[in-house]
Amino acid sequence: MYVYDQFDHAVVAARNAEFKDQVARRLAGELSEDQFKPLRLMNGLYLQLHAYMLRIAVPYGVLSSAQMRTFAHIARTYDRDFGHFTTRQNIQFNWIKLADTPQILEDLARVEMHAIQTSGNCIRNTTTDQFAGAAKDEIDDPRPWAELIRQWSTFHPEFTFLPRKFKIAITGATRDRAAIRVHDIGLQLTANGFDVYVGGGMGRTPHLGHLIKSGVPGEKLLSYLEAALRVYNRYGRRDNIYKARIKILVSALGPQEYARQVEEEWASLDQAKIDAPYAEIARIKSFFPEPDYTSKAFDAAALERAKAADPGFARWVRNNTLAHRRYDHVSVTISLKPTGLPPGDASSEQMDVMADVADDYGYAELRVSHEQNVILPHVAKADLYDLYQRLDKTGLSSANVGKITDMIACPGLDYCSLANARSIPLAQDISKRFEDAGYTDKIGDLQIKISGCINACGHHHVGHIGILGVDKQGEEFYQILLGGRADEKAALATITGKGMPAEAVPAAIERVVNLYLELRTDASERFIDTVGRLGREAFAGALHEPA
Amino acid sequence: MSPLNSAHEPKLVAADGTLIPDGWRLLADEDTVGVDEPNVLGFDRALNELDGLNGKYGVRVNPADDVRKLLPFIEKIALIEVAFPGYRDGRGYSTARILREEGFTGPIRAVGDVLRDQLLYMIRVGFDEFLVKDADPQGAIAHAKSLFDYAYQSAADDLKPVWQLRQEAGL
Repeated sequence: MYVYDQFDHAVVAARNAEFKDQVARRLAGELSEDQFKPLRLMNGLYLQLHAYMLRIAVPYGVLSSAQMRTFAHIARTYDRDFGHFTTRQNIQFNWIKLADTPQILEDLARVEMHAIQTSGNCIRNTTTDQFAGAAKDEIDDPRPWAELIRQWSTFHPEFTFLPRKFKIAITGATRDRAAIRVHDIGLQLTANGFDVYVGGGMGRTPHLGHLIKSGVPGEKLLSYLEAALRVYNRYGRRDNIYKARIKILVSALGPQEYARQVEEEWASLDQAKIDAPYAEIARIKSFFPEPDYTSKAFDAAALERAKAADPGFARWVRNNTLAHRRYDHVSVTISLKPTGLPPGDASSEQMDVMADVADDYGYAELRVSHEQNVILPHVAKADLYDLYQRLDKTGLSSANVGKITDMIACPGLDYCSLANARSIPLAQDISKRFEDAGYTDKIGDLQIKISGCINACGHHHVGHIGILGVDKQGEEFYQILLGGRADEKAALATITGKGMPAEAVPAAIERVVNLYLELRTDASERFIDTVGRLGREAFAGALHEPA
Repeated sequence: MSPLNSAHEPKLVAADGTLIPDGWRLLADEDTVGVDEPNVLGFDRALNELDGLNGKYGVRVNPADDVRKLLPFIEKIALIEVAFPGYRDGRGYSTARILREEGFTGPIRAVGDVLRDQLLYMIRVGFDEFLVKDADPQGAIAHAKSLFDYAYQSAADDLKPVWQLRQEAGL
């Protein structure tokens, strides 16, 4: 993975020194909360319902074991012994004391991490495929490009006060696991450069991104992004926070007109001055070599014996591993969605274990996925059973990846000051309803995504089943949506009738799921495909109790 | 308006940290333009009248104004004032950068909600004068310039981007 040099270290150290000074002024009463707010928000520090929340950037979701261990240390020393992995492939700590933040940032800097641009109206952490560098269907590795964008966007002087936050996602594979069509800018790496999608997003008015340019050469990517951002910075709406994302601009101008303006701006830029030369791209690429693959002999028969002897292991292998480009390796997803616990949370002990198993079996590398799970991208098949047993001891062996209980949920009303309704307890209730492994596996791939308000942090617009919390005369109600997906066949889910109270939701979902089991052609037709074949209306009725 | 430091009387300071006198006057619509007087014209007025004027003038550019429209008259412009009605409105950063890209070499002045925490970014996109609200405007400039020795991206200032420093250092 990328390793800081003296320049990267200097930038983070300078920012931390500045923030330390600002915190000291706030604690001494020289700055009021109103004065401090814009400063702390530039460092990922939010004031939530009960405490400060610190959001730490995990660049494009890639982590070393040492970095994961630092998260465990932060959870143990400064928080309530846990952290929360987010849909932005970041981690946030929900119970932070202001006075501790300078020391936390110093601890992070030691392992080349920071909280820069994890909040504010700037370019946020670029996200990518959690299986980058390992997946079989990869055309080119997106990580060096994400790192190039990370550096370019860090303290970009022209784009620090954009109309609204700005999110970029990249995929280098044929299957889109980075949800590029629901990002402000989505980049698809192809054999001929980048296809650029602009104007996707969720929130109150969801849009799918439009392809505005094909084949932008890698060496010209930064200047093209600069042009795309400049048009947005100049013409994006600033009069209404809910209409300020680039999707509203692109939809108002029309994708063709937006593309034309970007083209004009791109032509006017001094591209040679902006674009890092190929030597720099090659330098960054050199940090992402293939791992030094172990030559452990892989005994296929032994693996089959272990699976036969331990059905839990067999299920975990089936659901939580993905084919790797090397025949004797797989990618492993560690599910952070155990029955009855908040999605995406991990205790300090669990973080330490994840770091340890990454050292022992995973070339010291981990990833965070936007589905809020942790991935070991490269694991030798010979190590799978040892790995499984170690994970199982600390509650990390949930075998539900991609299944109905592998939900995305925002923090909701338990933490967030914007939320209308709770998300986590509902996710917990649903996971209890579908606790039975046989039932869950029979249902197969099904993504539920839960947001506690229309800001859609839980991605309900792209859930196969989306759940949206609303406030109805002071009571929490939930709208259910059907038919969304964020992959290469991206589609927005639609609302299916009137809302219902939390306690009615799990049963409603079960009715829809059972109808799907009745209607599917066979077990290979996934829920989303059956909904696609028969139409959303065919399922909407089942959501509501028969009269 | 940001509450940050906004209580202070704005003072004009240059990017090199020196306090500078402000001889310029923003004309109201009914004021007549003096020949070769240090007058700042509103944007629309500049577009309508600069063609027929002799001498050099200042022009006030608001966030929504397309600064490229001034390019035909650029020889007659001695100062551009870019207004920041609120510090969160970042359009003025693009305005300054476009002016520098188009070859404008005169002073570009930031006016309005100009606070110490924006100065570094403003310097980088090509501003060189600041009507800044701060108890210590000179200290604010020095502080801004001390924040970062390096920048990852090229802008309108003379900081070389880090990728270029790496190349020069053979890294």
